[in-house]
Amino acid sequence: MEQSGTPSLLKGAVQDLATGVASALSSGGHGPVSGDLSPAAAGADGFAPAAVRVLGADFLLPHVLAGTRPDAAELALFRQAVEAYPPRADAAPTVLWSHWAMRRTLRVLAPDTADGTTAEPRADWLELADWRTLTHQLSVLASLALPGADSAVARVAGKRNLDLARGFVRAVRRRDWLQAAGAGRWLSLLDGVPDTLGLPAGLDFVELMADGDPQVGLQVRAARRLATGALV
Amino acid sequence: MTSTRLTHTVGVRAMEWLWAHRDGFRLDPGVDPEIGFLERFKPIGELALICAVLFREGVAGSRQAELARKLIDHAWRDALDGGRMLVRGQRTEPISPIPFEVYLPFKELGYSQPEVERAAVLNHRLDGWCSFEVPPTRRLGLSAFQRRFGLTPRLPEDEALTATWLARTPEPWTVEGHIAYDITHVVFHVTDWGENPAGLPPRIADYLTAWLPVWIDDWLDLERWDLLGELLVVDACLPEPTLDERAWEAFAAAQAPDGAMPALRGLPEGDPDDVFDIVYHPTLVAAFASTLATSRSLARLATRSA
Repeated sequence: MEQSGTPSLLKGAVQDLATGVASALSSGGHGPVSGDLSPAAAGADGFAPAAVRVLGADFLLPHVLAGTRPDAAELALFRQAVEAYPPRADAAPTVLWSHWAMRRTLRVLAPDTADGTTAEPRADWLELADWRTLTHQLSVLASLALPGADSAVARVAGKRNLDLARGFVRAVRRRDWLQAAGAGRWLSLLDGVPDTLGLPAGLDFVELMADGDPQVGLQVRAARRLATGALV
Repeated sequence: MTSTRLTHTVGVRAMEWLWAHRDGFRLDPGVDPEIGFLERFKPIGELALICAVLFREGVAGSRQAELARKLIDHAWRDALDGGRMLVRGQRTEPISPIPFEVYLPFKELGYSQPEVERAAVLNHRLDGWCSFEVPPTRRLGLSAFQRRFGLTPRLPEDEALTATWLARTPEPWTVEGHIAYDITHVVFHVTDWGENPAGLPPRIADYLTAWLPVWIDDWLDLERWDLLGELLVVDACLPEPTLDERAWEAFAAAQAPDGAMPALRGLPEGDPDDVFDIVYHPTLVAAFASTLATSRSLARLATRSA
């Protein structure tokens, strides 16, 4: 009965949220994203915070890019996700970093209520990763790919732009559309990416082939927005 | 970096297999005309090309060089009957470029068949020969072979190159298997099969430097050894070959103890002639890639110690 089990319900909730964020990135406006959730997810015992934790800082991406302030309910849900799922001491670097990214977003969008700055996790594992692993990890951390948002992860991405471009090609060829979209988002932000990569058409290709996957749609639209600064 | 011993050993073993299976390089004079007498010339031409590379690079051991010399002699004297089979092929299909293509590497190695040469010179004057419809990559190869023969290419090589997929440096994620073979062959032709890496225009060399590692990674994981071997040749033709250790180790591990290189995943079983027809090409490619990679690797060592 996997279809009705918690994993598939959580996945559905993540996709609902991603659909709302992608739509907001396209329209330029931003409705209450939590309104995209089904009643089961949004209820008091629902798993909305877990779904927000999965989506990470991108839950509030339209506000970050537009410079608008989320409404109180959105902020409360986001903060709940940050506080309910702190990374364990032995968590993988991507978990540490995605949590760090959420806390940074809180500081940017609600500086009056956020806690103080936190030290960056280490990024040396990325420096040492081969180009395949680098791309996979950066794609998981695509929520850190934002204009003017410095981090140790972004600095590694900037230095390893060709490796990341290779990883984009690899992900497309292996039909890993989500990895390709996340890598494409980073590449949209970086200088020195070879023109022969064909990134703009590549992002369109990924979106088409992903057949409406909302998380892919979110990353592709974010990538276009980062590349042009325009609505997507 | 991949050890020189590893790359070298792949080629030594490949030559042993090719010598042991030399009878597979055979023509079929009684073939159904609908299939065509020239069908079986291609493996012999490829054998000559690869043996020529082996002599040229000068990195073969004495046993390997001896086998190459005996193989090329066998192909000329026995399979081609001293070149008479090329004449017969030319008479059968006068406008086909195949006898000329197969003859050229033998001519460069010192073998001679004047009648094939007369036909090549005559054909070169014919608009019909030069208009023969072939894919752009083969057209480029024909122009390069005309130049090597001493003729003025009827389509200049730079023009022929322009029409190929590689010269347009398309999106690297659009490559598929058959396109990858077009890429490798363009590199073979513009570098004269690895002899002149500078023949690769810098724009194309930069493109390959950027994206070849992805394609090697891809076809390595798919265990497409024939194509991987050709991509390893391309790597050895670049200004800074990577001699990719992961790819070379897997390529060497895919080779059977007797030197046979499977085309895809493992070796096929069945009728020996059928197996030869599947296996000879990847095994020739293994000898080719081994020779160039070993040569580049030794050149690098020499530069470092100078």
